[in-house]
Amino acid sequence: MPLRLSILLGLGLTVLTVGTPTLRAADNAQAEQAVALLEARCFKCHSHSAGKNKGGLVMDSLAGLTTGGDGGAALLPGDPSKSLFLQNILSVDPDVMMPPKGERLTKDEVALLTGWVKDGAPWPQSRTKAPSADRYLPGTIGAKEKAWWAYQPVKRPDLPAGQARNPIDRFIDARLTQEGLTAAGEAERAILIRRASFDATGLPPSPEAVTGFVQDPDPQAYEKLIDRLLASPAYGQRMARAWLDLVRYADSDGFRIDDFRPTAWRYRDYVIKAYNENKPYDRFVQEQLAGDELFPGDPEALTALGYLRHWIYEYNNRDVRGQWENILNDITDTTGDVFLGAGMQCARCHDHKFDPLLQRDYYALRSFFNNTLPVEDRIAWTDPAAAEHARRLASWERKTQAIRVEIAALEKTYRETATQKAIEIFPDDVQAMILKPAAQRTPYEQQIAALAWRQVDYEYGRLDRSIKGADSVKHADLKRQLAEHDQLKPNEPPFVLAVRETGAQGLDAVIPKKNTVVPPAFLTVLSGQYPAEPAKITPTADGTSTGRRAALARWLTDKSNPFTARLAMNRLWQLSFRRGLTPYASDLGRLGEPPSHPELLDWLAAEFMSKGWDQKALHRLILTSAAYRRSSSHPAPQAGQLKDPQNTWLWRFQPQRLEAEQIRDALFAAGGDLQADKQNGPSVVYSEPTRSIFTRIMRNNRDPLADVFDAPQWFNSASSRDVTTTPIQSLLLLNSPFMLKRGEALAARLTKEAPGDDAAQVRRLYQVLFARLPTATEAAQAAKFLQEVRAQKPTAAVSAALANDFQPEKVPFRDGQGAHLESSHRKPFLASGATEVDLARGFTIEAVIVPRTVSDTGSVRVIAAQVGKGKADGYWQFGVTGQKSRRAPRVLVLQAFGPLLGDDFGEAVHFSGLRIEMNKPYYVAAAVRYADKNGPGEVTFSLKDLANDDEPLLHDRVITRLTGVRTATQTIQLGGKGTDAESSFHGVLDDLRFSAGPLNDQALLYANEDWRPDPLGFWRFENKSGTLSDSSGKGRDLAVGAVKAAPDAKGGATPLAALCHALLNSSEFLYVE
Amino acid sequence: MAFSDLLAKEIVVPAPGTPLQPGVGQIKPRAKSVIFLFMEGGPSQMDLYDPKPLLNKLAGQRLPESFGSVITAMGESKSPLLASKRAWKQHGQSGQWFSDWIPHIASCADDLAVIRSCKADGINHSAGVCQMNTGSILAGKPSLGSWINYGIGSANRNLPAFIVMQDNQSSVINGPRNWGAGFMPAGYQGVRLTGGSEPIPNLNTPEAVSADLQKSKLQLINSVNRDFAARYPDRSELGARLAGYEMAARMQAEAPGVVDLTGETEATRKLYGLDDKTTEGMGRLCLLSRRMVEQGVRFVQIYHGAGSKWDAHSKIESNHAGLCASMDKPVAGLLKDLKARGLLEDTLVVWGGEFGRTPMSEKGDGRDHNPTGFTMWMAGGGVQGGQTIGSTDDLGLRAVDTPLHVHDLHATILWLLGIDNMGLTYRYKGRPERPTQNEGEPYKKIVG
Repeated sequence: MPLRLSILLGLGLTVLTVGTPTLRAADNAQAEQAVALLEARCFKCHSHSAGKNKGGLVMDSLAGLTTGGDGGAALLPGDPSKSLFLQNILSVDPDVMMPPKGERLTKDEVALLTGWVKDGAPWPQSRTKAPSADRYLPGTIGAKEKAWWAYQPVKRPDLPAGQARNPIDRFIDARLTQEGLTAAGEAERAILIRRASFDATGLPPSPEAVTGFVQDPDPQAYEKLIDRLLASPAYGQRMARAWLDLVRYADSDGFRIDDFRPTAWRYRDYVIKAYNENKPYDRFVQEQLAGDELFPGDPEALTALGYLRHWIYEYNNRDVRGQWENILNDITDTTGDVFLGAGMQCARCHDHKFDPLLQRDYYALRSFFNNTLPVEDRIAWTDPAAAEHARRLASWERKTQAIRVEIAALEKTYRETATQKAIEIFPDDVQAMILKPAAQRTPYEQQIAALAWRQVDYEYGRLDRSIKGADSVKHADLKRQLAEHDQLKPNEPPFVLAVRETGAQGLDAVIPKKNTVVPPAFLTVLSGQYPAEPAKITPTADGTSTGRRAALARWLTDKSNPFTARLAMNRLWQLSFRRGLTPYASDLGRLGEPPSHPELLDWLAAEFMSKGWDQKALHRLILTSAAYRRSSSHPAPQAGQLKDPQNTWLWRFQPQRLEAEQIRDALFAAGGDLQADKQNGPSVVYSEPTRSIFTRIMRNNRDPLADVFDAPQWFNSASSRDVTTTPIQSLLLLNSPFMLKRGEALAARLTKEAPGDDAAQVRRLYQVLFARLPTATEAAQAAKFLQEVRAQKPTAAVSAALANDFQPEKVPFRDGQGAHLESSHRKPFLASGATEVDLARGFTIEAVIVPRTVSDTGSVRVIAAQVGKGKADGYWQFGVTGQKSRRAPRVLVLQAFGPLLGDDFGEAVHFSGLRIEMNKPYYVAAAVRYADKNGPGEVTFSLKDLANDDEPLLHDRVITRLTGVRTATQTIQLGGKGTDAESSFHGVLDDLRFSAGPLNDQALLYANEDWRPDPLGFWRFENKSGTLSDSSGKGRDLAVGAVKAAPDAKGGATPLAALCHALLNSSEFLYVE
Repeated sequence: MAFSDLLAKEIVVPAPGTPLQPGVGQIKPRAKSVIFLFMEGGPSQMDLYDPKPLLNKLAGQRLPESFGSVITAMGESKSPLLASKRAWKQHGQSGQWFSDWIPHIASCADDLAVIRSCKADGINHSAGVCQMNTGSILAGKPSLGSWINYGIGSANRNLPAFIVMQDNQSSVINGPRNWGAGFMPAGYQGVRLTGGSEPIPNLNTPEAVSADLQKSKLQLINSVNRDFAARYPDRSELGARLAGYEMAARMQAEAPGVVDLTGETEATRKLYGLDDKTTEGMGRLCLLSRRMVEQGVRFVQIYHGAGSKWDAHSKIESNHAGLCASMDKPVAGLLKDLKARGLLEDTLVVWGGEFGRTPMSEKGDGRDHNPTGFTMWMAGGGVQGGQTIGSTDDLGLRAVDTPLHVHDLHATILWLLGIDNMGLTYRYKGRPERPTQNEGEPYKKIVG
């Protein structure tokens, strides 16, 4: 008997469990007791009745035990020593012992179980019933599971009978009739154009477009409108948003260092372009999964591979294997959501509990991606562009060879040290992989070594810092010499976030703990076999790639695939109605809900495929349906409210709140300052008034507006947006400087478009915000508001800041607000000067800055300065050098013209070695100690990257011959120098502090925010304490440019601006009806 | 304050009969509020709560092979063991051990359940802080405070249910996403109270807007929004928008009072160390958290050493000495004050970091990150004080006895609040999500 048993086991467990039921079922007291014990102590975490299978293990059937969990088979009948569950019961290792908590099993209990296993673990007769009838059991997927609607091929249903011309309405109307509901009529044209414009382009219609449409006598006016909207470049910008949410696109790494991804935007532009050019959806899918394998040489297809790169990345994770595992899981999870509409991540640790998705299926899906190597060196360009680049690069290389050789020689030892230090921090096994010759690495070792090498590269990027002393000077000098040839250098080629593969040899995923190797395969539930047969794979012709992703892409875009077209159509529907035909747009399984109109979904899917996956055609069909055009108001809503309060049958349109980006875009559009001409290109910071799709998504530093209006996190695939209403949201709309500015911008626009006429301005206001004219009551209400506010005492606090276009902006990672300064603004902040005595011992200037750009020339962008009246007074200025600086680009610099050692009077320029990157928040300082008879003085520069806590406060000390300044009493200028455009600081300034004497480290603002060493001026730009007031108590309040800081009732918040601001808070503005 | 008179005054508590969330209602709530004192950067367990004589004996040697290998953040697995220089004493009736760095906390020994066997998964700060807040080392999940806000709501609608404060301006690792709502609606996220005159972003009427003007604006907003809501009476969210402004007004009225400490007695101020420069900052936050709990705020989180200040990779002596000095008295003051006011019974106080530190040295005088065994403590809210739970191995490297993973710790906190960690679900993308990611079990013995 034992012999026979082991043969059976050799043939496979399925045979054992299914093939010999009578043999295993027994009526025996020992078995009864043993299983009762399991029930008492183990079922809580390992049974269908408890709904738990911790560690992937269920113990309520022999099949469950012999199939086992993450650790492999839990029970081997007849062999207690190879029965893992028993071994774990015996273990004293807290990580594996079972049960993990509570009393240990007694000796008698252990003896009972051991005896039972030894006797072949007969399963008691009384328990042979399947543990739960509606669940599939290990080893099979039941007919019921296979029959789930989403696994059936798409079949085009017949159109229901009816009058409607648009096929969509036939389905909708049939259902309404069935439910006994009458639909609302068509919405008014003004409402329709606002609704369709937001839905198709994400933007509000202009008042002119509204009037034109409302007055258009053409019966086809609406269809023409839809065609116009779908043809607008704004269409792709709107559609891309939803897709980017799905693929968790962001411009940053999302970990402790939320590092910017400078080339990620090319993927965003790819998506926009794909929608605008109406790229067939099957091709769109293929390019993103396998653009390199399927369409070699096509720059767009290469760019599309960004889909595989939007996972988060931790720059200093020494657990390289763990991070790589997480990355592959992320791609698998996202692909499950986006392309399978299946909660694959639920099957990562165990078979899916509700859907017939096996853990094996998860790893089979992962195997399609298992060979990828993330790379940043792939270039999305055509051959001629590459050739031209190569030609120019070769010429630059020839010219600069000597310098580069010299630099390399100087860096050599530093680089070696950096390499060694970076490598030795890894665990031994990873170090071994890195140190192995590349040719000898297995595919997995290639992946791990490459991921680890990013950390070495990170150190190379900071090599400057480790070079000290004379080498440092020489290095900087060589770099400058090299920069002199920059005009010969070709522009940076269009690098994209992409992947390569480790070769043609496939590397299969392995189920952790079970160590089961799983080749790529499609879902078992769709297969005739259990588990699914491996997918047919052909490596690419050039042998560089496995062809696995191509196989996946082909399968997904085959017309027999049940998911792809349905998912696409459901998402398109969701964009128009905010609720999909099935409400969970990335889960078509049991956890989602069956579609409200299954035939319609299938008809759309079939039509979509038969039209060559033409997205715009189907979108047009939806937007021109009567269902979409219905009014939100129903003349007799009672029946609908009673029978269908959720509006599932679409008896009317539901008013919908705009999405965060639509709100932001509409706010800028209303004020007339939306820079709609930005249609592509690198991402910009969110304070720039471009469309939101072009703003940087920094995962750990979000736009507060997007945050309160439910923008997703962009860490995982997101298939829909929430709509929440909170007091924090109301406070932002009501009190934030950003919103007040929007009110002012809108008022300025109205004043320009309808000068001097209150009533006309109010009419225009309603047209701009609501695409309609005010009712008589509303007009009267607005007039009354204006009158009321005019009668109010002018607000004493309306400050020059507002009159002078002060732009508040929050500094990332800092509280409160700073001052945003446009490039070439020519309007520095001005404060009254100090005294000679104040600056007799030197001085310290400190600031928090976020530079947007530096000068293209050698000019210094000024953070602070004092300039004398005539040449004899000299000047000093503290700032950041330009790109073509004669010493070093983008470094902190202090320049002065004044008395020098040896009774000279002249220039003293102090370049620091502290380099600034754009769009990063920094604390910066320069402390000046003058030279005197004892010798030269010193300028101590300080720099702290506020976005990265790992970065220390850096210092650089430069010797100075300066013995004093003659400009102490001159106006202190912040953020620029006079009306000089070139010196104007571009970016955000905050917390500027000017102090007498050179401050030591402890006294610096960065080191100690609480302790105030009695500064001469401290400017924080806080709204509450006074945007332009001096919080040092010295009364050095700021003026802007030439304008005094006196209250100016005419500027800023006019009654009209207040009206505009109030209506920007209105629900009607934030909703489409 | 500007416009609260305009609007109905009413404290909104969850109305009786409000349907409970799944997983709420079956477990007896012992705590009503949580104050989570987050020592950011990772405090050293073997220098504060978990004495290890063997460590001092083996100091200078390598980790014995019997302890196996570990992956550490800075690759210090082979560095020599670092002795603890602390003096240790047993305290209170319970005789729990504390080092000389935290004499004030030690004086509360009999109120504390010291858990020496905590475990986490992240070896770096980002993952660690993320997990201690959300249960997952990968971002995107709601934080514990959001789950609690979702599960049992607030007892005071005039203040956020979930408030976060920090002791300095540096950014907490990962930034605001630590108190974010993850995949839940934004309304469940924590609100960070900042220092200065505007504790909540945009709380104050802007300087350029007079009280009269603000009132006029609010009247108009209210009026147009009421009209719009009337057009769609069955869209409840439009009503919620009206209520949102009312709540904002009440928040504007109430929040400044909560952060105003002028009404506190001299004795109270002293208890929290507000009279001493060293302890003043943390003392203020601790006192504020008591005031918030009094007002019904559900979850208060204080980051001490915000920006990884506890991260003593080198010079652990000076680093931890300073941080302990600034934290010890205020934290003890909070416990004593809560107790004296009868608030400790239903306020759970949690102390800990994202992980602990290694017995191995780093840079000669520091310690690397250690998520495999570290100490946290809980007090109040039904917790039985004076007990030491679990243990680490003889060097303090790994949790050995009664290991409590972050998921177990979260499950325990939820359980004390009357929330079943496996019962509370939120449906995201159709899938039931749970606060402890389908793992974790409450350590019920913590109530004695």
